[in-house]
Amino acid sequence: MKTNTMSYKIKQYLLFAGISTVIFACVVIIPFIYGLYLTLTSWDGVSRNKPFVGIQNYVNAFADSGYWVSLGRTFIYSAIAVILVNAVAFIIAYMVTSGIKGQNFFRAGFFVPNLIGGIVLGYVWKFVFNKAFVALGSFISSGNAKSLLATENGAIAALIIVSVWQYAGYMMLIYVAGFMSVSEDVIEAAKIDGCTGTQSIIHISIPLMTASFVQCLFLTITRCFMVYDVNLSLTNGDPYGSSALAAMHVYNQAFVNKNYGTGQAEALILFVICAVIGGIQVYVGKKGEVQA
Amino acid sequence: MKKRLLSLMVVAAMSASLVACGSSEGGSSDGASGSGVSITVLNSKTEIQTQFEEMAEAYEEATGVHVEVYNADTDTTVASQVATKYASNDPYTLTMVDAKDIYSLADDYAYDLSNEDWASHTTLGITVNDKLAGFPVCVEARGVIYNADAIEAITGETFDPSSVATLDDFQALLDELKAGGMETPVGVLSEYWSLGAHYFAEVYEQQEDPDAFVNSLLAGEADLGSNEKFNELMDTFDTLIAYNYAKGSAANADREESSMMLAQGDIAFMFGGNWDWSVINQYDYTENMGIMPVPENTSDDTNTKLVGGGSKYFFVDSSDATSDEQRQAALDFLNWLVSDPEGNAFLTEQCALVPAFDNIDASALDPLSLSVKSYADAGKLIPNYNYLPDDHMTVVGQEIMQKYLDEAMTRDELVTAVEEYFKTATPIEH
Amino acid sequence: MENEVAARNKKIKHAIMIIVLTLLFIAFVFPFIMVILNVFKVKADITASPLALIGKHGFTLENFPNAIKKMNFFTVFGNSLFVTILSTIGTIILSSMTAYLIVRNNWNANKILFVLMIASMVIPFQVLMVPLVSLYGGIFGILNHRVTLIFMHIGFSLSMATFMFHGSIHTNVPISLEEAATIDGCNKWQIFSQIVFPILKPTIATVAIIDAMAFWNDYLLPSLVLGRKELYTIPIATKVFYGQFSTDTGLIMAALLLAMLPILILYIFLQRYIVEGITAGAVK
Repeated sequence: MKTNTMSYKIKQYLLFAGISTVIFACVVIIPFIYGLYLTLTSWDGVSRNKPFVGIQNYVNAFADSGYWVSLGRTFIYSAIAVILVNAVAFIIAYMVTSGIKGQNFFRAGFFVPNLIGGIVLGYVWKFVFNKAFVALGSFISSGNAKSLLATENGAIAALIIVSVWQYAGYMMLIYVAGFMSVSEDVIEAAKIDGCTGTQSIIHISIPLMTASFVQCLFLTITRCFMVYDVNLSLTNGDPYGSSALAAMHVYNQAFVNKNYGTGQAEALILFVICAVIGGIQVYVGKKGEVQA
Repeated sequence: MKKRLLSLMVVAAMSASLVACGSSEGGSSDGASGSGVSITVLNSKTEIQTQFEEMAEAYEEATGVHVEVYNADTDTTVASQVATKYASNDPYTLTMVDAKDIYSLADDYAYDLSNEDWASHTTLGITVNDKLAGFPVCVEARGVIYNADAIEAITGETFDPSSVATLDDFQALLDELKAGGMETPVGVLSEYWSLGAHYFAEVYEQQEDPDAFVNSLLAGEADLGSNEKFNELMDTFDTLIAYNYAKGSAANADREESSMMLAQGDIAFMFGGNWDWSVINQYDYTENMGIMPVPENTSDDTNTKLVGGGSKYFFVDSSDATSDEQRQAALDFLNWLVSDPEGNAFLTEQCALVPAFDNIDASALDPLSLSVKSYADAGKLIPNYNYLPDDHMTVVGQEIMQKYLDEAMTRDELVTAVEEYFKTATPIEH
Repeated sequence: MENEVAARNKKIKHAIMIIVLTLLFIAFVFPFIMVILNVFKVKADITASPLALIGKHGFTLENFPNAIKKMNFFTVFGNSLFVTILSTIGTIILSSMTAYLIVRNNWNANKILFVLMIASMVIPFQVLMVPLVSLYGGIFGILNHRVTLIFMHIGFSLSMATFMFHGSIHTNVPISLEEAATIDGCNKWQIFSQIVFPILKPTIATVAIIDAMAFWNDYLLPSLVLGRKELYTIPIATKVFYGQFSTDTGLIMAALLLAMLPILILYIFLQRYIVEGITAGAVK
């Protein structure tokens, strides 16, 4: 069979990706283009007319200092959270695939945080920070400890802690799959050749797990950049709006302050930044991927 | 494997189409099936959701009209929830929103209610461009909530709220409570809506001409720092801060906890409104509570009045997505609330709302609503100001007032910040 | 001798790991324990003493029947199950096929699709929210159907699933195996369905659990698509317990526990496949 004719290619494409392409276009691409158009209007989000205003919303977005401050904060938060999430997830994944007792139990346990979402998550963690940690802190320093959530840096730190807690189990899952995909034979062979455990991780497992790293880094980077729900339920921007991350600012701009167009434009700028960072990361990662 | 994959897909597709048929049949029952029509209602007073649903069942039995009550989403604003409903061309027949939202929705989507029977029984409806668009659900007011039991336990005398109308007297009482063992007698909610839209808003509302004052702020002309009302209210706020139980981490005081402490008498005062009763009554509360005006050292009579008025408004959808029968059913429902004893009982007894209509008798209210009603009946309510810029709550409430509450900002800095904010704020047309 | 030392070292290493894991484990499940502690209390006790085993008002089981009744649990449970199962199956089948096409054929169309998909993963949802309802509600009028929700769930999750399958096909499926099959006369579809798909088991299990969980817990999209009570899924139904001025914490906890059980069971079940690893990898 000829595999380089146009008709063969089209048939193969339609067979394997036809439905996906249609669904993807309908659900993501077309609404996105419409959303792009809305950034060129001064719509308030509800009225029937959507006056066309050109790039005015982008001008507003660039002039909105609060947006850039929240974006800078998001960078700092993401950088720390991404590193911690992946480090913790990788270490846990390594430990629960090393053949210790009860590893299945641990795997389930670390996954549990993923099952608690939304307001309950915020409620429970608020309690942990405001009550449990404060009681502990007062006990240790025998004075009045202040809740992490009540200070500007503390609130961001709290967000990072909760993010690590929330995502580490999830990313662990991908790393576990990565560890499992590194064949036992290869590790055994390395041992016979005199590799220690650490050496075989660094020289064999990690390179073979590049795909897992690319996936996890991409997922954590993009999720951290766009984090909204934890931000809302844990701090809601308190204290004094100092913990509002970019997505929250965008959301408030569009729906609380009713500047739909400007909020939408700011969200698009956020999208472009994320896409560039994520794209570079995937590109670099894919280059280093080992082909089976 | 191939077969299994294929059969899975077939099953998926088939069951999908089955459900598609099923639910489209369900959907078309609107307005056609059986004796009655079906209307949808958005309830944005989430604390009465249970009562509302129970009432809807009884209402259907009595009238044959099916009322489906939806709860407002607390993750987002009511305005954006309504906006997405209109964007998807699937609006509620009756929508309950805040006064501010009526102004932005009325022109496009609100049906004119001025010919309704109830219109003559209230002065609190909202009229936009000669169209009566908003049906007032209730009267709500804010001030300082007190727990009289907790105060009397220390002072040994019956508490009379009018005895602490001035800040000096209030301060003296706080000191007495403190000396009597209640170290921190005050709670201040740290939520930005409470600080921005409820407390700081009084700075505008207590002016002689709130509109002129806000406009001069918007024009960058007003001198906030030397404004009498501003300073009087902020002096009181300083006192609240000084006696706040959450002092030190005031910016994230927990609302449930503050309400619980007030209910149990661990603190004696909390700034709030009669809607707070629905939280307070979840705990071991006393009936001996009430709302009093914010104490002020002032020369005018604002310290004898609560601030408030109509709260939450229904509007009837005027778009093509609602049929004439549905619209009529919605209008009938509003009339039923005002003119039928059952409807009245729903408002005043089941939901404990202070009615906004003069023909409704309300005697079985909760203590806070009783306070509000007595001030309302005596004409001692300063009206709400509904035209603050949309981001006032997040900027002035959260970024500025919360910082001030946490003592991370001086009064001068606050003045500058608020004045700066108004210079770039977008005014609300009205 | 050497073996003994090695065995002892291994034992010590394992002991250390178990201690570290246990400590981490406690930190990880602590909030979950909080949920269990508080589900048997009335609201007043939850606020007053969230850490106590039993509150002042005593032990109560009331939260469960109340939550079940108030959220119409069995109906919404059925809805959630239906939406989650079909969306997950659809996503896995479609995305693995797409990923296979992209990995094995270096065509421009594939590259464009893949880049678009990756880029789409970082679109903030609120950019799409209003356009989505305007198009599907305002123009096509097909909201308020569970199938519409399934369609959208698949559309939004395709990208990430394709991305994950892409990685694992790239690294774990030996091309030599496929070449051998081609020589034996298999066409591309047969190769995919009979050779590649089975090898992908661990990834399938991972994607299944991640997506099923996302669908099961998703609130925003279902709330936009399903505006009728009889179509509600669990997260939307749970919302009746959240009020602006009063949040019914006890009922929320009960609803949460009831809702998370199926996912936990699915996870424990699928874990086997993740653990099994790649048996076919040995053919390399």
